[in-house]
Formats: sequence, C-alpha cells, structure tokens
Amino acid sequence: MTSSTFSFFKAASRWSKNHKFFLTSFGVLAGGGSSIIYALEQSIHASNDAAHVAKQKWNHNGWFDTLDHASVRRGWEVYKNVCAACHSVEYLAYRELVGVCLTENEAKAEAAEQMIEDGPDETGAMFKRPGKLSDLIPKPYPNEEAARYANNGAYPPDLTYITQARIDGENYIFSLLTGYMDPPAGVVLAENQHFNPYFPGGAIGMAQALYDEIIEYEDGTPATQSQCAKDVVTFLKWCAEPEHDTRKLFAMKAFTILGVLNLVVWYLHRHYWSVMKTRKIFQSPKSLFKK
Amino acid sequence: MFRNIQLNGNIANAVKGCTEVVATTSTKAPFAGKSPKQVLPTKPIFLTNYNLQSTLLSKKALTPVTTTQVRLVHTDFKVPDYTAYRRDSVKNPSASNRDTFEKRNAFTYMVLGTAVTGTMFCAKAVVHKFVLSMAPAADVLALASIEVNLNEIPEGKNATIKWRGKPLFVRHRTSAEIQIEQNTSLSELRDPEDDSVRVQKPEWLVIIGVCTHLGCVPIANAGEWGGYYCPCHGSHYDAAGRIRKGPAPSNMEVPPYKFIDDNTLLVG
Amino acid sequence: MSIVNVLYKTVLKRPSRFFVVVAVTSLFFERTVDIGIESLYDRINRGKQWKDISSKYE
Repeated sequence: MTSSTFSFFKAASRWSKNHKFFLTSFGVLAGGGSSIIYALEQSIHASNDAAHVAKQKWNHNGWFDTLDHASVRRGWEVYKNVCAACHSVEYLAYRELVGVCLTENEAKAEAAEQMIEDGPDETGAMFKRPGKLSDLIPKPYPNEEAARYANNGAYPPDLTYITQARIDGENYIFSLLTGYMDPPAGVVLAENQHFNPYFPGGAIGMAQALYDEIIEYEDGTPATQSQCAKDVVTFLKWCAEPEHDTRKLFAMKAFTILGVLNLVVWYLHRHYWSVMKTRKIFQSPKSLFKK
Repeated sequence: MFRNIQLNGNIANAVKGCTEVVATTSTKAPFAGKSPKQVLPTKPIFLTNYNLQSTLLSKKALTPVTTTQVRLVHTDFKVPDYTAYRRDSVKNPSASNRDTFEKRNAFTYMVLGTAVTGTMFCAKAVVHKFVLSMAPAADVLALASIEVNLNEIPEGKNATIKWRGKPLFVRHRTSAEIQIEQNTSLSELRDPEDDSVRVQKPEWLVIIGVCTHLGCVPIANAGEWGGYYCPCHGSHYDAAGRIRKGPAPSNMEVPPYKFIDDNTLLVG
Repeated sequence: MSIVNVLYKTVLKRPSRFFVVVAVTSLFFERTVDIGIESLYDRINRGKQWKDISSKYE
C-alpha cells in the first residue's frame, strides 16, 4: 500500500494539537451529553408504569381551532367549585377571565366574593378586603407546608400551567380525572391513598374529585363526570396558554402571507439568476488566439 | 487548410470548451502588394510522433497519429439546453421578442410588487409587536386605575387608599367644610388655587396624600385648618388640601379621576 | 393594446410610480388580509369564541 491510499486520514495529521484536542473534546462532550439526555429520558419512561392515556378529540386540536369558550366557562365553574378546594391557580388574575369566560361584571362580582389580604394599612397591620379584578385568584392554602399537612403529605400542584407541565397534558389530566377505580388484587394502598392506573405508581393521594352531577352547570349542560373533566381540562388549557386563540389566528395569517411570499420569491430568484445560470463559458487563452 | 499546425503544450486545456475547429497559428492572409510582418513563435515545437503523444489529449484519442493533421472536433461535447429558462412567449423563432417585451416585464414587476407588499405586511407586524412590547404590561395597567366605592365613606371622613404605591385621600366633605373652602379668598393662600379647581364635586376631595414638603403622609382631620396636618415638619393643610402654614411649598396634588356613577369613583 | 400594456406604461415602467403604487396597495392589502383571514377564522370557529357566546351573559 502506498501512502496515497490513506490520503483521507492524512487530513487529520496536518491538524494542530489544539485543533485535535478541541475536536476530540467536542465530540466526547456532544456524544456524552446526548447519551445522558437519552438515558434520563429513557429512565423516566422506564419508571413510568402508568397506563397509556387515550387521545381525546379536543375541539381545539386543529391548527386553526380556537378553544371552546363555553367549555372554558363551564371548566371555570368546575375549578372553582371542585378543584379550588385543594389546588391553586396562583398565577391567574380575575381580570384575565374577563372576555374569556366571564363578563366584566361577573368577574368583578366573583372577585368581590373573595376576601383578599392587603396592606399594610396606616397602623402597619394587614387587613382583608373584597377582591378586585386586579387580584390573583386566592390560594386554598397559604403555603406548601400547609397544603402538605392538610393532604397527608401530598402536595396538590398548582394548576395554572399544569397542561404544559405533564407529558400529553390534556389527555393525561382527562384520563386521570376519569380513571379512578378499585385497586386490583394484590395492590395494597396506604391509608388515604387511591388507585388510579394513569398515575405513575398507581397510588395517588388525591381522591376521585369528579362524579356525575357533582355540580350543576349554569347553562344546563348535563354535568356528567366526563363532561366535567373535559370542561376543566379545556379551562386549564386556556389557563396555561392564554394566547392560544391569538396564536392560531396569527399562524393562519403567517401561513397565508408566507405561502404567497414563498412562490413570489421562488419566481424572482429564478428570474434574477437566469442570466447567470444560462451563460456558456469557454476559455480563449491569449497564447492560442492572439499570437 | 492543411497547413502545419504548431501547438504549444497547453492546447489540451484550451480546446476543452470549444466546439469549433480552430485553425491555429492564425496569421493574417497575405494581401497582394503588402506583406505583413511574419511573427514566428520563439520556440517552435516540432510535431513528431513522440511529441504529440506526450502533449495532446490522450494517446488513445490520437492514434494513429499523423503529422499532417490534428483534428480537435469534439462531437461528444454536449451544448447545454437552456430552454427551461426561456419564457414561452420567446420560444417561437418566427415571432419578435419585442412584441411581448412589455408583457413579460409587467409580469415580473407585478410579482416584485407582490413581494414588496407581502414583505411590508410582515415587517409591519414585526415592528408592531416590538413596539407593543414597550407598552405597560396588563398587570401593571390593571393596577394603574382603581375604583373607589363612595358609599363606604361617611360624611366628614377621609379614606386612605393605596394607589400606584402612594396613599390616596378621598374625603367626604361636610357642607360646613365646603362652605369654608369655597369662601376662602385666594389672597390668604400661599399657593393660590380656587376650591372649584381642586374638586369636581364639592362633597368629594380626591388628592394624593403626600406632603409637598418632604413626602410624609399627613394626618386627616387635624391641624389648625381642620384639613390635614403633616406630623413630620408641621405643615397645615385645609379641607381642600391647600397649604396654609408650615414649610410645605405647594398644595397637595390632585390626581386624574372621574365619577363613573353617583357611588363609584375611578382614579387614574 | 391590452390592459397589461396600459398597466406597464402607466405604473410599472417608472420606479417612482411603481413604489408609490406598491406602498398604497400595501395599506389596502393589509386591511384586506386582516379582515379576510379574521372572518375566515371566525367562520371556522363559529360558536366557540367568547364573542359568539358573550351575549348570553350580558
């Protein structure tokens, strides 16, 4: 074998020591990092013995489908009558509900029903006052410790961004809310634990919250368990993505305009480059023709 | 035609892109009467068999090599076809391109116009978003104005409300106070302002409760004029929030406000 | 002379006129696209948005 056989490898022999060191470290770090991320992701899935959640046909699933605001309104009713006993939506303010699922007067009235701590007043003491539109929705527990103490050590998570915070958020929450069942034979639960196959581990501190007719909807919709679950998930979806409807409208405009621009730019590119691309080039060295 | 050709060693590169037979050593044909000066190559290369085989395209292509003629016609050379780049209106060889010139140009210009329009649409949207991001956030705006329920403030009382981080005084004035303030002559005042300028409705005085001296919060229904008294350095204000005595230079500030209905005041 | 030739002579040939016309068209184009797409969006989502149901609660 001659040395020219290895010309491909000879490129590396010309690299400086630093160059080689840098490239080697980069390769090791990139490869190692990817492996770690992959391993972590796999270990999550491996530890997850939960049942697979069913894909529901949410009516905001399409590219250009808005949330169903009647459902958001019912979901708010479910949240405030059922979920709010344990779960907070601490980043949501009453004013944000205006024009989404409540009118301004309704939101004001609902805010005024809550006593919000404010202050300090002129004596330096905190005081309670009726809520205003600018107030955040009050939390059921003052802090995490109180929440854990009241729930046997389990912490009811904040629900503001919960659909984003769980894998396949909407479907998972729907399945979780409707998936309570008696524990199968052999599964032993601790006191105050409940069995839910969709919850990793199966034993969940939260009791079944939604039953048929647990609340009465103001608009007369039959409040079945799945209806309540669907509505509250739609509400939570809005809560986590309040820009949802605007975003999809913007997407629609962007697709339209960029679609047109794409065609136009294709044509102009071809037009301006046609001069360059249709040239025939041949050499006429002086030595040959200009003697 | 069959003259001896003299080639230098680079001819192989030169003829690659050429589709015509080139007569080399092209000197001007001699005219009768005037013979041009012959320019001879400085170093002729003699076309021996050996020489040609080592300098021209390849040995294979040129065998058998003759010393009398070297043809450099490349019939395998493909002339590129650019028909795809030509517009339909100029493909007809018997029609004049000039007839369709305006039509072709108009189309390209209209496409260009569409591109500019679409780009302006996008640019405007982007600029709009960036400019809007400089506007105050919704939670800030929500706190920028407050509603005050006037039913809760009995006559003769002063309510202190937090507004934009400052105390806001809403005072339900008695008719006696209104009488006194309206009849105060401007010559008595350090910062002359008529009562009617400072209130929209005579019963309601709305001021920012910050002493104009050094920013303390005055005490309501105190001081020699029964309005406000600043405990820090002893400024006395009357029931219209006007400075009457003490170090403060000017009257207390009146914020923008309006009455939404008889019982609701909107400040901010 | 077809309409294209008229258009070419009046508008497109001179860059100054061309860009004035493009600028003016952009204004109308923007409004048209905004209104058109928003109405299409509202039609796709008829009965779902708050503005469709708010009248029931006011």
